[in-house]
Amino acid sequence: MNRFRPDTADEPAVELNGVSLRYDTADDVLSDIDLRLKPGTFTFLTGASGAGKSSLLKLLYLAHAPTQGEVHLFGLRTSALSRKQLSALRRRIGVVFQDFRLLDHLTAFENVSLPLRVSGQKPGTYREEVVDLLRWVGLGERMHALPQSLSGGEQQRLSIARALINKPDLLIADEPTGNVDPEMGKRIFRLFVELNRRLGTTIIIATHDLSLIREFDAPVMRLQHGLLVRDVEHQSA
Amino acid sequence: MSKPTPLLPESDAREAALFFVVAALCFLAVLATLTARGTYTAAHAWSAQVEGEMTVRLKDTDRRGAEDAASIVRGLDGIRSSSVLSQEELNRLLAPSFGPGGIPAGVPMPILIAVETTQDAPAEAGVVTAALTDAGFNATAESHADYASEVQRALGTLRIAAIGIVVLLTATAIAVIAFATHAALLARRDIVDVLHLAGAEDRFIASLFERRFWTLGLKAGSAGSLVALAVTAMIVFSAQSAGTQSQLLPQLSLDFWDLVILAVTPVGAGLAARWAAGGTVNHSLKSVL
Ligand SMILES: Nc1ncnc2c1ncn2[C@@H]1O[C@H](COP(=O)(O)OP(=O)(O)OP(=O)(O)O)[C@@H](O)[C@H]1O
Ligand SMILES: [Mg+2]
Repeated sequence: MNRFRPDTADEPAVELNGVSLRYDTADDVLSDIDLRLKPGTFTFLTGASGAGKSSLLKLLYLAHAPTQGEVHLFGLRTSALSRKQLSALRRRIGVVFQDFRLLDHLTAFENVSLPLRVSGQKPGTYREEVVDLLRWVGLGERMHALPQSLSGGEQQRLSIARALINKPDLLIADEPTGNVDPEMGKRIFRLFVELNRRLGTTIIIATHDLSLIREFDAPVMRLQHGLLVRDVEHQSA
Repeated sequence: MSKPTPLLPESDAREAALFFVVAALCFLAVLATLTARGTYTAAHAWSAQVEGEMTVRLKDTDRRGAEDAASIVRGLDGIRSSSVLSQEELNRLLAPSFGPGGIPAGVPMPILIAVETTQDAPAEAGVVTAALTDAGFNATAESHADYASEVQRALGTLRIAAIGIVVLLTATAIAVIAFATHAALLARRDIVDVLHLAGAEDRFIASLFERRFWTLGLKAGSAGSLVALAVTAMIVFSAQSAGTQSQLLPQLSLDFWDLVILAVTPVGAGLAARWAAGGTVNHSLKSVL
């Protein structure tokens, strides 16, 4: 990190240089990916099942290190960061997991406040915020419910609320509308667009839902067998 | 809003099993330690007593001569007491050989002097024999320490065995606690992952588990320790009420050090569990980015 080149707006929010990823198996799940996303952009990531969408997102939300290449976030070379610095960086990223990852012993309210607790905020200070956000995703009445008593769509909205509570600089959503009806899907996407416009949040959404992609007319990246076959530079918006 | 739910769930069946294992191991470790200590202390007391004893056999003399001999012995350095055994005492001593009727008349009986030596610089058997021989007695002194040396040797072995058993049990307890804690943690891997990806520092996550398992170890250790205390108290009580004070049987009593062992064990269990939890969390976190 060069302190004369701070985290400024002309720095890409996300930059991947020659990134490959291989799990324990022999084949690359992602091969030689180059990618630059400016701050405040809204981008779709699509591709067939198994193409590597979730794997690419894992690299971005720092759950995994690439086998090759470099991942830069907000101008920081992630491979050069200490564990403490990585934790701090993760707090600037909101993630909606494909499988939600809600904690089953915590209420809806507590699941949403988790990122705030992790960053050391006292319960008294964030109550209003959490309640507002829960109302906004339509869970105002289910605040004290445990995740297993919520429907799939409600769980999905809960995991979205958790990803947003910290007002992240980067929002990564993996199939965030997989379990909701088209109407709710649109509402969620509108929410993302609003967040992007109002707070300038950089947003990446992996989805299969072509109708939503068409409707929201944002840049699209397509993955095919681990290759980025159509990146944001070439897309026809 | 009431107090927030702990980030780690209160407890589950797995923790109940872990609680039982820790409690049982602490119970066994405490009982083994107390028993080993009791046995060793009893045997040690017996041999220390025997160490300070000597018997002098006199031939060709009568009771009066024996009393003179006893007072000569009393006058030597390193002697605490010296007295001629009476006929009754001899009868009692020899009852296993001759029965309660006493020694039949006509059986040639030596006269015996029971001698107690001092603890520091005790008189040696040879010196006693020589002093009496010089005074014209036909006497042989024998130190009981000669018989006791067998027991001494056995006692040394016993001590090593006892320490070995206690060390082994303690090590097993720690290993099992670590292993069980590890398993319990892996089952809550989801929580570790979510906290980690939400930006929690390693320290933060580890301390959640450390606090939880420290309490668990402390509670389980206390339970095991308390049951061990109850069992020991019962043994002590029943031994006392039966009035049996057989000297070589493990003599359980509850002295200061026993109570220290009872108090330290739960803390040890808590620390072992805490250490295992911290180590496991840190290890599993280091394996992810
Ligand atoms: N942890 C893992 N270990 C080994 N292989 C993995 C792992 N995660 C994913 N894979 C493999 O990597 C490839 C890409 O998986 P990924 O989950 O990234 O696909 P995806 O595009 O998100 O699919 P979907 O649309 O079904 O969610 C698949 O072949 C998958 O089997
Ligand atoms: Mg996926």
